[in-house]
Amino acid sequence: MYGCSPLPTCAQPADAGCPRFEKSLYDLIRGLRNHKGSEKEYIQSCLKECRSEIRSQDMDVKATALLKLCYLEMLGHDMSWASFHVLEVMASQRYHQKRVGYLAAVQSFRSDTDVLMMATNLLKKDLAASLPIIMSLPIGALPHIVTPSLSMSLLGDLLPRLTHSHSAIRKKTVVTLYRLALVYPEALRAAWPKIKERLMDPDEDPSVTAAIVNVFATLTPLEPRLVRKLLPPLTNLIRTTPAMSLLYECINGIIQGGILGDASDFSAREEIASLLKYVALLAFNKIVATHPFLVAEQEDVILECIDSEDITIRIKALDLVQGMVSSDNLISIVGRLMRQLKAASPSAELNSLDDSEQDSSDEANVDPKRRSKPQEPLIPLPEDYTIDVIGRILKMCSQNNYANIVDFDWYIDVLTQLVRIAPTPPPQEVESDSATSISKLAAEISERIGNELRNVAVKVKAVRPAAVRAAELIISRLTIETSITRPALNGALKPVAWVVGEYASLLASADDALRNLQDLLPRIRDPEILATCLQAVLKLFAYVAGNDQIPWTPERKSMVSLLMARVIHVIEKFVSHPYLEVQERAVEFVELLKLTAEAAAGQTPSTAELHQDPPLLLTQAIPSLFAGWELNSVAQGAQYNVPIPDGLDLDEPIHPDLPRLLAQADSLSLPDQSEDEFAAYYHQKPPITSISSTEPAINKLGEAPEYTGSYQQHAAEESYLDPDTIARRKAERMERYRDDPFYIPPEPIRSSTPIHNILQKENGPDLDIDSIPIMQLDLGPTGTPSSTPKPIAAKPKPRQRIVVAADETLSTSLPNRASGTSTPRSYDSDPTLSRPSTAATRKAKQQSLLQVDSSHLESLSLDASESAAALERQQREEAEMQQALREVQRLRLEMQRANERIMVAQAKGVTAEGVVVASKPKKKKKDDKEKRVKVGESEGVEGKVKKKKKKKAVESQKAEGSGTGSGTGSGTGTGEGASEPAAVGVVKKKRSGKAKRLVQLDDREEAGGSQ
Amino acid sequence: MINAFLVFNGQGQPRLTKFYTQLDTQIKQRLISEIFTLVSNRPPGSCNFLPLPPLLAPPANADPQQHNDVPSLVTYRHYATLYFIVISTSTESPLALIDLIQVYVEALDRLFENVCELDLIFNFETLHATLGEMIVGGVVVETNLDRIVAGVKAQGTVAKRPVNEGRGSGGAGGFASAVGAGLGMGGMVWHGR
Repeated sequence: MYGCSPLPTCAQPADAGCPRFEKSLYDLIRGLRNHKGSEKEYIQSCLKECRSEIRSQDMDVKATALLKLCYLEMLGHDMSWASFHVLEVMASQRYHQKRVGYLAAVQSFRSDTDVLMMATNLLKKDLAASLPIIMSLPIGALPHIVTPSLSMSLLGDLLPRLTHSHSAIRKKTVVTLYRLALVYPEALRAAWPKIKERLMDPDEDPSVTAAIVNVFATLTPLEPRLVRKLLPPLTNLIRTTPAMSLLYECINGIIQGGILGDASDFSAREEIASLLKYVALLAFNKIVATHPFLVAEQEDVILECIDSEDITIRIKALDLVQGMVSSDNLISIVGRLMRQLKAASPSAELNSLDDSEQDSSDEANVDPKRRSKPQEPLIPLPEDYTIDVIGRILKMCSQNNYANIVDFDWYIDVLTQLVRIAPTPPPQEVESDSATSISKLAAEISERIGNELRNVAVKVKAVRPAAVRAAELIISRLTIETSITRPALNGALKPVAWVVGEYASLLASADDALRNLQDLLPRIRDPEILATCLQAVLKLFAYVAGNDQIPWTPERKSMVSLLMARVIHVIEKFVSHPYLEVQERAVEFVELLKLTAEAAAGQTPSTAELHQDPPLLLTQAIPSLFAGWELNSVAQGAQYNVPIPDGLDLDEPIHPDLPRLLAQADSLSLPDQSEDEFAAYYHQKPPITSISSTEPAINKLGEAPEYTGSYQQHAAEESYLDPDTIARRKAERMERYRDDPFYIPPEPIRSSTPIHNILQKENGPDLDIDSIPIMQLDLGPTGTPSSTPKPIAAKPKPRQRIVVAADETLSTSLPNRASGTSTPRSYDSDPTLSRPSTAATRKAKQQSLLQVDSSHLESLSLDASESAAALERQQREEAEMQQALREVQRLRLEMQRANERIMVAQAKGVTAEGVVVASKPKKKKKDDKEKRVKVGESEGVEGKVKKKKKKKAVESQKAEGSGTGSGTGSGTGTGEGASEPAAVGVVKKKRSGKAKRLVQLDDREEAGGSQ
Repeated sequence: MINAFLVFNGQGQPRLTKFYTQLDTQIKQRLISEIFTLVSNRPPGSCNFLPLPPLLAPPANADPQQHNDVPSLVTYRHYATLYFIVISTSTESPLALIDLIQVYVEALDRLFENVCELDLIFNFETLHATLGEMIVGGVVVETNLDRIVAGVKAQGTVAKRPVNEGRGSGGAGGFASAVGAGLGMGGMVWHGR
């Protein structure tokens, strides 16, 4: 057995030589290794043993059991139930047991561990220990278990350790102080003089100084003169050093210090090793925020990194690319990313098959280098990475209201492609509610893609037809891909369906679109998508059937009736849909259509002699539901700018006797006049808004839309766009150049061929038309050699002047939004949203796992030369605070003491010793207060009690909150009236402010007393 | 600031877990397994930094410029059968973290005299003690090898690996040699160069 010496002579937990019944940690681990396959059962039995062993009276058994629990905790078995035993072992007299206790506390205590407050005295005692190894136990453990109240009561014990003779202790103390200050900023104020002393001490161990600087660097802003001194040697190092890592550190130092003055030699970092690639990217990332032009010079290297095999490097490079994207490089950057995505997407092989067939005719136009380039290695990309990349592409493209996009046709193609690439969530996961975050993200990202397409359709009128056709394509493709058994889960469907419905007149074939949507409806699971699609179906129907120009012939009558029957049939299934939005729309539409069907059936078709109009319900009523003003995009947050009219009180009931009024309304028939007014307002366009209907003049000028892309770009695009998209583009191109004399179309349509054939037929085979010499015509600079199909590529890229509609908003008070630069995506920086009230919630939301929040320290100022008024106020507050805190502390200690006593009674004197030692010097005060509190709390008699003290007690009780108060059943105990010397610095400055507060407290107290 | 220091082996079994914030046991385990999945899927020749595991991924609408306190860097090194992981904020120097892991392993090597995974399994208390000499509350306080070793030794004798648990058995052996190789390269070594 272990000796009684507190010295760590026998810190060997695996005491194999000692025969006993309990398992040692060594036995446990060996047992684990011997129970391969049945570890679970073994661990359960071990946990059971530990549970009984830890209650043992033998401290050794207890400590061993705790050590075993710690080991099992590491393997994932909760030990929070043992927190009281942890405390017992922490209080052990023997170092090696104590150490186990502290380890267990560090590993298992949570902020809600209620025994924590009982540890205060123990920690105080251990902090005051003479042996450095014991002393460093609480110092090392405090950062893990610290709470504001704990740091407040331990601050005074920790501070003297800043001058300990061991440098290791001093260093650890500095760090622990920092962590205390993070939860209790006042600690820093008290500790600051001592820390400064350490910093100034010329004999101080440099590593201690380093620790201080390291920890408190954020609080001591660099002296500007120092910056100027540092820069030359640093740049010198950067130029001369052979060590890459040192180079990086120097550059990083410059960046972090914000001292990037002259553009130092950054090209040095082009030689990149795999690790340094990463750190260089990190550094670039920091520079890009302030000096984007420097980074732009390194574009090639960075783009290389995007294709790296290493995902970490890729992500960093992407971060960077996002910051440096411009209208010049957007297409190439997005192209790279698209290729990457397509190579990794599951449909890649399938597409590459027919790729080769379809493209054979186009081969001549394609840059040979591109073709010979080996196919990207097929790396399966993790789904979240794919989603991330798609998100970034969308963000890059939509930045600043599409400022970077010159070619919207290209963008629409990219979006179409993205819809196909985007990962779709597996169906079974969506059905159950426990959809993982990935599948949720997948649904979100495809909806975002669809939203982009919708935004383009709404905002960029010039390409609206193209966008609508793309939406049409997506829908028809989805119809083919899905079936009843394979539900349509693509989130893009919702916005795409909206586009198709809203701009039905621009569709290539509205009938097909309607049919496709009808087919899709039963396969949609997500009710929100379903609601949108229902709406789209009716809009399409209104467009298809509602034309009042076509005469009401028998054919039309039967056609419309059939169509209506089909639509009703499809929509009727949703009449009892559980999702209200869907149900309501379905019911409305079905009823409306049934009415219309009746009307249509009743209207006899017009014959040769008798002209009949189609039913008005069909041609007027239904289309008018959807043909109001054109919809424009509205800036996010524009709602906030709607001024609240004077005298509007939203809390006021609309009418004092609403039910009666409603009952009256049932039997009342109102004249329809007001409705007409409304209709007139809604449907008649005021002349000012006529811009919305007319296209920008510039678009009408050019007969054919100007083509902006180069051939190189084409070749690149074809490597990531699907063959059908490419084929469509090719057809479009052909159409565009049909009348262009300089454009030689590919073989099949070659116009010269027939003539060639005719000539040959007429003149017999002996005439070789190709041998007739053709004079070389040199037309000078104006002529373009007709043999080259690249006249357009040679031109400087003309910017397609496309008007991107700005978001509509109301107020002019927010200039950045009024000017239309804000896109819906700039939500985060929206000034109306960063109000103080939301700021707090946002911060809370952003608190990440593992994060240690240091923002409390930001507000704390140690600067002595503040304005006098602020200082005075601060001191006053401080004084009040400290007084209150002292009271809180006293009460807390009382409660704690009481608790400890109870514990002692239960656990036979384990902590008794420590308790007595700590309370001795305050014996006298204790008695005094004990009596008082007893009287006050147990009997509720107030008369005898000194008013003020009692008031403070109440206040502090309140301040302390329920956290402390709940744990105790009795108010008896000792007080530690005197507070730490450090905390008394500025007390009792102003009393007048206090007095008012006391009066208030009086009331509160009486209220409390009467309970 | 360093947010966590983890050691686990090639099968994902933890050998040391140290979190500098309070976390539930279940979340700790999830984080470990997420990081293990990331680390075990690294192609050869990758750099020593991992993408953020899903648990630590920032919320979609987070503003990256706002805080320096968010853990955003996962550094790892691989020694024979073991992975050493450091999760830290972006304010830590990545190269210094790689060096820190190296120092830690070298310190263990000195303490156990040719350390192997088995030593770590049976002496996890010493692992904690060594780490406690180097990092306090998430801040690096010591990187001097001699002082670290002296600090740990002052706390008591370091147990040797059990005699009857031979080197050949189980996951033992091997990683000391990797350390030895590292020693020869002046402490500024990383794999995958």
